[in-house]
Amino acid sequence: MAESSAHRAATVEFEHVSKQYDETQIKKGAPGAVNDLSFTVPAGKILTLVGPSGCGKTTSLKMVNRLIEPTSGEIRIDGQDIAKRDVTELRRSIGYVIQQIGLFPHQTIEENVGTVPRLLGWPEARWKGRASELLSLISLEPSKYAKRYPSQLSGGERQRVGVARALAADPPIMLMDEPFGAVDPIVRDRLQNEFLRLQETIAKTILFVTHDIDEAIKMGDLVAVFQTGGILAQFGSPLDILAAPASEFVARFVGQDRGLKRLSLLRVSDVPLQPAVTARPGDSAEDARRRALDDPQRYLLVIDANNRPLGWVAHGDIPAEGTITETMPNPVSPTVNKRTTLKDALSMMLDADVQTGIVVDRAGAVQGLLTVAAIATKMREGEHAPAFDDLGALGEAESEAGPGEIDPNLDAGAADQAAIEQGTV
Amino acid sequence: MPPGTKIFDPSWVFSHLPSIWERIVQHLQLTAVPLALGIVISLVLAIIAIRRPVTYGPVTAITGLLYTIPSLAAFALLRPIFGLSLLTAIIPLTTYTLLILFRNFTAGFNAVPAEILEAAEGMGYTRRQRLLRVELPLAVPLIIAGIRLASVTTIGLATVAAVLGDAFGGLGQLITEGIQGFFPTKYLLGAALSVLLAFAADVLFVRLERVITPWSRARAGAR
Repeated sequence: MAESSAHRAATVEFEHVSKQYDETQIKKGAPGAVNDLSFTVPAGKILTLVGPSGCGKTTSLKMVNRLIEPTSGEIRIDGQDIAKRDVTELRRSIGYVIQQIGLFPHQTIEENVGTVPRLLGWPEARWKGRASELLSLISLEPSKYAKRYPSQLSGGERQRVGVARALAADPPIMLMDEPFGAVDPIVRDRLQNEFLRLQETIAKTILFVTHDIDEAIKMGDLVAVFQTGGILAQFGSPLDILAAPASEFVARFVGQDRGLKRLSLLRVSDVPLQPAVTARPGDSAEDARRRALDDPQRYLLVIDANNRPLGWVAHGDIPAEGTITETMPNPVSPTVNKRTTLKDALSMMLDADVQTGIVVDRAGAVQGLLTVAAIATKMREGEHAPAFDDLGALGEAESEAGPGEIDPNLDAGAADQAAIEQGTV
Repeated sequence: MPPGTKIFDPSWVFSHLPSIWERIVQHLQLTAVPLALGIVISLVLAIIAIRRPVTYGPVTAITGLLYTIPSLAAFALLRPIFGLSLLTAIIPLTTYTLLILFRNFTAGFNAVPAEILEAAEGMGYTRRQRLLRVELPLAVPLIIAGIRLASVTTIGLATVAAVLGDAFGGLGQLITEGIQGFFPTKYLLGAALSVLLAFAADVLFVRLERVITPWSRARAGAR
């Protein structure tokens, strides 16, 4: 059996799935209805379901492990209709994490983590071994935590145990319903980062419900924005949704600052770098002065023998003859690397005298320059592009489900409208 | 009380230890059998009530009604059917436990947090597994609280069964004989032993709860 979490993941497809409640159920406080939902989550991707309360996002999630049965439509896991599967067996093959965590207070942490393996009848040594492996994975020392009870753990620790419990039987799919909703923002941020790192190794197919658009954008490879009435307002990559909201509702939901949100998703490596005009101390000043004219801003970047930046010299400050010296450059300009987000890079550039970022590699050697103009070009490029164009995962989703099934609400008119709105901002 | 009688005569107690012991054993039987029956019946009723909440009202009403029947009247009603038998004593004593036990048991099950039930269901517990491995253990504190209350009540109430004869009369027999024979030692001893038994039962169940719910002691310790 694959206990090592070796890239087992499954495709989850919704096809015309609806859930309606009758009057009496609504009076009793039925969860949000869902209206004709069709989308595909490719294997190994995180889909975040986001929207206001009562929009049907939790209902959609619970239909996957059949805690709620759809009124119509079909949900398939790896092509198989889940309605035809044994419900208990189905649930044991899906990891489930809820906001209130729901750890069993009468069981030790080890027993909690081993819940599904024990239900599946694993021998004691095996489930205990698995529990200890998972506790290590979530950085809780097994010798210290295995025999404790949930009441002896902090909120953040309990939340991590909840995730470990969901992973115990190595399910191909995980359902997470506001998993980090009950902890404070600092702990939440840490748990989110930890989880994203974890996902790099476990690569599960994850449906993740949140009401927080920032969390949806941060955690999702794909985002499904729901609006009241259980209508899928938009389905796409976080960048697509920020760049081209499909409707006014989505635009309002993602917020006025969606440009800044996009900047925090894009990295320096997403933007073409400009070549730098460089010179080393000892080089001919005359030659450097001539070459500095090639720089759009007419600046010369002085670098050391290892190509590390020493600073800028303005064209006018380069002597007509002699050599470049180490004292010439004015040592101010931010250095960024390819992993820096555009948001951080832009912020550093705005603070600096020369509003150009010097992109360096791990050794600190100059690779090129990042300009405000290049960032602006990148931002425009996304806004005018049709939705669903630049993420590989989306391409897969489209080819598997057919474009019509991905988002029935995003027709050409809506896209045009979004583009027009962009123009006025 | 005839003149010259002592309030309490220890020498009588020492010379009658075997028969006193017999009364204690009888009393334990009069208590334990109704309690055990009551626990089983109430558990079944409580499980039905949490699955079908509509049954909760009627069951509470019926057990409440049974509780109001005076014990002497119940013995009188059952005597023509079962005679002066142990059964005539046990049936009313059992029905008296039902109200307390049923209410506490359902409260115990209802106190299990909804998110824990949802997590259990979502992870693939069958209904039966969920009941036995999650709901029942988590209901234990309130279940035991009900049993403690019912045991203390039944130990006191069982003394009345003495009216049904001395074959199984328990400590009530000592009390009745003491009153009828103007012999305070006997009824004081009967009353004292009854109180002591009630105390002992209470302590026993508190201990039992601690042993079977280790998680409730773990709270906030060891951190």
